[in-house]
Amino acid sequence: MIEVGAKAPDFKLKDHFGREVTLSQFAGKRNVMLLFYPLDWTPT
Amino acid sequence: MPEIEALLPRLRAANTQVLGVSVDSVYSHANWGEDLGGVSFPLLSDFEPKGGMAKSYGLFLEGPGITDRATVIIDHTGVVRYAESVGPGGRRDTAGLAAQCEAIDAAHPGAQPPPKGHDPHEAPVLYVKSKCGFSRAVQLARHNLHLGFIPLKNVSDDAAAKAELESAAGTDQAPCLLASGKPLHEAADIIKHWVEAYAPL
Repeated sequence: MIEVGAKAPDFKLKDHFGREVTLSQFAGKRNVMLLFYPLDWTPT
Repeated sequence: MPEIEALLPRLRAANTQVLGVSVDSVYSHANWGEDLGGVSFPLLSDFEPKGGMAKSYGLFLEGPGITDRATVIIDHTGVVRYAESVGPGGRRDTAGLAAQCEAIDAAHPGAQPPPKGHDPHEAPVLYVKSKCGFSRAVQLARHNLHLGFIPLKNVSDDAAAKAELESAAGTDQAPCLLASGKPLHEAADIIKHWVEAYAPL
């Protein structure tokens, strides 16, 4: 798992509204919380 | 995810954008979100190459081919400030995570709140038809963005709605979002209009 203090790798992925979302689009603007989960239809 | 959806106002106040990530397709995400009562924050599809993004964060589980259940909080300068796994079968402490976001925002000031959406159009009505993937997609987005106040009419089984759409748009092509008297036809354009108006990033 990535370590605290590391630079977060950028990514470009589609969301469920068809938008392309990158990490870099939030640079200097917002904090980002990534919720990784195994599969849809699994809890939290 | 419904617990996170309920915490969105608190996370917005902490200048934090939430992004869900799994290897599922965008179609699976949209259907799951609807099943949960609506997920308005992005569910990202780490689908091709499968788990590529999770691998870059060291969170892809090669054996089962799924992503670990883990949370990574990144400050506005791009530095990881929190990273914890609860294991694939574990449960996240969502309230604890909101508190983490607040603490990180306070410790690293300079982030801004997400933009507020604005929909300039009035009296929207959504027309759909049966057995149509595009109609299905706009209905899922309507649920995920909590737009139940926008009336839904099905032109396949409602002759009056079909006539109404033809009269207003000059065609009975569906899906169609009629707003301020103007038709918007393509599913992708309707959904783009909605996310910009109600859930901008």
